[in-house]
Amino acid sequence: MSRARPNSGALLGLTLAWACTAALAEDAAGQAQATVPAATTPAQKKTSPALTPAQKTSPALTPAQKTSLALSPAQWLERMNHALTTRNYDGTFSHWHGGHVEMLRIIHRVQDGNVSERLVSLDGSGREFIRSGANLACYLPDRRTVLVEQRPPQESLVGFPAVDDQTASFYDIREVGRMRLNRRDTHVITVSPRDEYRYGYRLWIDASTAMPLKTQLCDAHGRIIEQVVFASLALPVRIADASFRPEVSTLGFRWLRTGTAAPLAPAAPATSAWNALRLPPGFRMSVRSAQVLPGSNQPVDHLVFTDGVASVSVFVETQSAAGAQAPRAQSAAVGSSSAFSTVVDGHKITAVGEVPLATVQFIATQVKAQDLVPAGVPQR
Amino acid sequence: MNEELDSQLSAMFDDQLPPSECELLARRLSRDEQLKARWGRYAVMGAVIRAERGVRLNAPLAGRVSAVLLAEPALGAQSVAGALPRRGLRWWQPVAAGALAAGVAAVSILWLRAEAPSSVASLSARLTTPAAASGASVIPASARERGGRADSYVVPPSPAVPAIVVPSTELANYVVAHSMFSSPVARRNLLSAFMTSEPAAAGAEEPPDDVKSAAQ
Amino acid sequence: MSADVSDLSLVRRVQRGDKGAFDALVLKYQHKLVKLVMRYVRNPAEAEDIAQEAFIKAYRALPQFRGDSAFYTWLYRIAINTAKNAVVSRDRSPIEYNIDRHDNDESYDMQGRMKDSETPEGLVLTDEIRTTVNAAIDALPEDLRTAIVLRELEGLSYEEIAAAMDCPVGTVRSRIFRAREAIDHRLREVFEGGLGRAEELG
Repeated sequence: MSRARPNSGALLGLTLAWACTAALAEDAAGQAQATVPAATTPAQKKTSPALTPAQKTSPALTPAQKTSLALSPAQWLERMNHALTTRNYDGTFSHWHGGHVEMLRIIHRVQDGNVSERLVSLDGSGREFIRSGANLACYLPDRRTVLVEQRPPQESLVGFPAVDDQTASFYDIREVGRMRLNRRDTHVITVSPRDEYRYGYRLWIDASTAMPLKTQLCDAHGRIIEQVVFASLALPVRIADASFRPEVSTLGFRWLRTGTAAPLAPAAPATSAWNALRLPPGFRMSVRSAQVLPGSNQPVDHLVFTDGVASVSVFVETQSAAGAQAPRAQSAAVGSSSAFSTVVDGHKITAVGEVPLATVQFIATQVKAQDLVPAGVPQR
Repeated sequence: MNEELDSQLSAMFDDQLPPSECELLARRLSRDEQLKARWGRYAVMGAVIRAERGVRLNAPLAGRVSAVLLAEPALGAQSVAGALPRRGLRWWQPVAAGALAAGVAAVSILWLRAEAPSSVASLSARLTTPAAASGASVIPASARERGGRADSYVVPPSPAVPAIVVPSTELANYVVAHSMFSSPVARRNLLSAFMTSEPAAAGAEEPPDDVKSAAQ
Repeated sequence: MSADVSDLSLVRRVQRGDKGAFDALVLKYQHKLVKLVMRYVRNPAEAEDIAQEAFIKAYRALPQFRGDSAFYTWLYRIAINTAKNAVVSRDRSPIEYNIDRHDNDESYDMQGRMKDSETPEGLVLTDEIRTTVNAAIDALPEDLRTAIVLRELEGLSYEEIAAAMDCPVGTVRSRIFRAREAIDHRLREVFEGGLGRAEELG
């Protein structure tokens, strides 16, 4: 085991600027219950007793340490997801994939139930992704383009893949130890896939804030495909609106907008036409909706399949006459995520997800128009 | 100022000058510092348009290379392993559509999508300016300029017109739409990758052995 | 596949002993190459050094270049190779952690500068160049701007642009040339104005 080697690979040329002291101070001052998550699952209620004033100031064991001893790996994942979606944070991190590294900054704020977030590429493309309430914009200076769309605000509450009992059949989730990462105490959780349809994770979760300080995405053989490491991270009580404005000048850019996306519907009985005949084991449909994407006026069917950890979106749109001469099958990669599209009966079907290419390909080729099969029932 | 010469320089920079004129201009370019400087500024313009951030636009790189080469032996005709074949390529000949499509399929490129020429109209339609953001505005078809210059040329309509490569905002839309349904960590990773994704040039794989050994 | 007649005519000159022709190739591709190398090393100064090394290697390997691929493709591969070698030799390959159960104090040794390596001055000049070009482009008539953006940003050939803009190829060539002229009118100032201030010394 290599210890304390200069690991500048993922953090080239950067001075570490840990705001851990500040973060802890904010934790204590701003959110007295920082170490007791506001989540309301019965499991968490059992293990997170209310703190007396004496306990809060006890030097022997911090409340964080007390509660953290008792959580299962799956509960750590839940705490982590909760932190990522409900806390304010502002950090810079390195994103490693495919042999090269880039630095990004992420700012996230939840205020009066409204989520604002901004992701900025600090070098290279200068692209920015900004979401503020219902407005979502992608600034692509290297394409001189801005994609703008509106999403219904309740979408942030729809939920993302959640680990449940069924998930354990497809992933081995365990805590492999504790590790100090840049003077922070972390729980190291591994999520190992049991087959080659999906990827795995290694997560270094801060014991106090539950933020994932380091994340590795691995394939079924344990090879690291993608790595994100925070170089600096602060959890401020307040983040100004100005932090969510783009830096890039959009003079001369083209703007591709769309109207308000159609509201989402939970998975309903398949009265509508599209569904997957078969799915990889463990995957089930979780959401079905229709929306209009920026730059077009055509509605697109959007299905979401998940196995509790990974999710795959399938988009179905009517093939335009012009696109009819396009290659029938195309694949693409966005970091570790895969995309595959194919054409069936005059419809273009595209699957996108954080899974291997073979999986999105499988799902995309299984999607057919049908009227009779109930939603979410994978046929074997 | 020789406008004809400068116009040739611009065309040569874009690989759109007939071979015979290229030979002549290449000779002038290699000797004329003013011409070289202009050529270098053309490259700077391109870099700015492509928003190649982080790259220094006034780097003395070219000067340094030139200085190093002064000490290098000149390459002589006898050292050329095999003279470059004269291809007799006519610059206006379109690339076969099949070859381009194959190239796209072989490399998973985020931003390339081959579209049929009949979609050219939609390409025009997508080139909106902010002022016209409310609806797609089409570039006004300018009156055809016929006759006049000897090198005016109109592409004849033919079934073999090459596929036009345009950026696919479609995949970008899918990525963003999907990101709303990923787990928070996966979503962050996906959007990060999207923020940093770069189009790879065709054929950008390991170099073949001969180049490897030559380049040492 | 290659339609890079202009590159080939320059390459042929270099192969026959004309070093000045190689300058033109460097000028044309230096930004692309540095940008490419920066996918492997973050530090711009280091990236420039690697790009420089790649150009030198390409010059030395030029006798073996037969035109089987486009010159830029060939150059591109050399640059990637050079960058990868530079990265590996500095032990900057990504970390593979073996997790064990002991507490480990992983200290990240933060070498190097916090900011990009550009001196404040170099940064200002690059910004000034960028601003000048962008302002000039925005001031262009729409047909000129469209032509040059389609060429430089989308990489379309003249005949593809002619199809997109519904005009003859000769008009495309003229529009792009005039766009460049208009931009160069301002850009020349930055590069040549005053005491040649845009030229970095060494």
